[in-house]
Amino acid sequence: MRNRAFIVIALAAAAAAAEPQRPVYVVIANPGTAVSRLDRKFVSEAFLRRVTRWPDDTPIRPVDLGPDARARIRFSEEVLSRTVASVRSYWQQRIFSGQGLPPPELGDDEAVVSYVLSHPGAIGYVAAGTALNGAKVLELN
Amino acid sequence: MSQQRGRGTPRCVPVAALALVALATGRPAGAAIELGLPGGLPPLQIHGFISQGFLLTSANEYLADSSKGSFEFSEVGLNVTLPATDRLTLGLQVFSRKLGPIGDYRAALDWYYLDYRWRDWLGIRAGRVKLPFGLYNDSSDVDSARTAVLLPQSIYPAQNRDFLLAQTGVELYGYAGLGRAGGLDSSSYARTIFLDVRPQPGSPFTVRDLNVPYVAGGRVLWLPFEGLRVGGSLQFLRLETDLLVPPGSGSVAVKIPATLWVASAEYLWRDFLFAAEYSRWLVKTESSNPSMFPESSVTSERAYLSGSYRASAWLQAGAYYSRLVPNVDRRIWPDGLQHDFALTLRFDVNQYWLIKAEGHYLRGTAGLSTSLNGNRSLSALEPHWALFALKTTASF
Repeated sequence: MRNRAFIVIALAAAAAAAEPQRPVYVVIANPGTAVSRLDRKFVSEAFLRRVTRWPDDTPIRPVDLGPDARARIRFSEEVLSRTVASVRSYWQQRIFSGQGLPPPELGDDEAVVSYVLSHPGAIGYVAAGTALNGAKVLELN
Repeated sequence: MSQQRGRGTPRCVPVAALALVALATGRPAGAAIELGLPGGLPPLQIHGFISQGFLLTSANEYLADSSKGSFEFSEVGLNVTLPATDRLTLGLQVFSRKLGPIGDYRAALDWYYLDYRWRDWLGIRAGRVKLPFGLYNDSSDVDSARTAVLLPQSIYPAQNRDFLLAQTGVELYGYAGLGRAGGLDSSSYARTIFLDVRPQPGSPFTVRDLNVPYVAGGRVLWLPFEGLRVGGSLQFLRLETDLLVPPGSGSVAVKIPATLWVASAEYLWRDFLFAAEYSRWLVKTESSNPSMFPESSVTSERAYLSGSYRASAWLQAGAYYSRLVPNVDRRIWPDGLQHDFALTLRFDVNQYWLIKAEGHYLRGTAGLSTSLNGNRSLSALEPHWALFALKTTASF
């Protein structure tokens, strides 16, 4: 009896593991952006403002969610390879040494979508499932 | 980080009042105050910080009159940045500090610049700009961006801030992507440093004039992947001064050419940050009257190894070992070297206010100042001593 219960639990766990994990966030861009697939490295460099132009020379306008947003936390760790706190330290160094300003930080997913739609060259990320209203979804390599 | 709000809506609110409101109401960390401008210009972004520290040593005076405890450890900075176009940025920072005998709470323009970023791999800044030397020289004032209260003093000596922090001239900078090999972050600069002539208590000489005909150098950092920075910095500078020798003995012209280099490595992995730097400074002294002011050529050796860990959103711990040898040909105990072992705890009370506590155990007296210690010889000072530092910083 105990063995049978163990098998059922193991099978359930295996099934859960096999099910693809739902993404926490999607990366979006202004619909006028020419690309639909990007390297994570490019996105990381754009959000850290090391790279400031799209390949067609349009200025890149990155936009962030607030520091506590789940999508921000996952995006920072997976794309920027840093915690949100490390990103903050990075910007503190740059702000107070006169080397740059961080992306604007907006309060919710809807504000990010609105910003991305209204600013040519804008790139952001929002929680999966957010109404995108025509914002372009970017795939990351 | 800015908050979204209506565009093109000018607001005229006193900056100090805005700063106080920001700190009092707990805006998110890094949240800039924005001031709308007329004429379709983007809003001005305003950031600032205020720090107050306390230094206490078990023996010897270090950075301030520290053996009885000193609160002469204060910093205030306020900066304004205008991203005028997507290529042109203007900025300035007003800074005031007090660290023992250095600084007197006078506000001064710390940096100001016009920054034109032509391409990602080439931009130019003109004005008074921070010197990119090592990993942290250009951000050494930014207490909120690091764990430690005091950066390793062998490479980032706080008492030399006026010489090492910023230059007035031009800087070329850029970031070049290298594909799978990562990217290259580089900057080079040239011009001068303007220095105030200040009386040196206890010195037999009076500094009549002090010039820096040139300072030039550069830094290259290779970023093979996100989190790792490896590179080096090189700096050449020359100081020229006229010293008056009392009583009525005339003056001595002294020229001090110096070459400084540092090799750097930093690795950020999850909540850990490791850094190591090794540096040598070659300083020559040329004198018009060697009998009064002797000539010399001295190479100093400086190095540190540090690590920090963010345990939670509100707690960080850090440690470093820093080593200073002012003259590699004279590694004599106790005044020819200094070992510094430091442990830090940083508490982020909230996202705009932090408190740090730091303990140091020091062996050797090479980093001490004779003038702060009653003109006693460094070899006569206590060779085993401890430093306790406490600092709180608010920033927005």
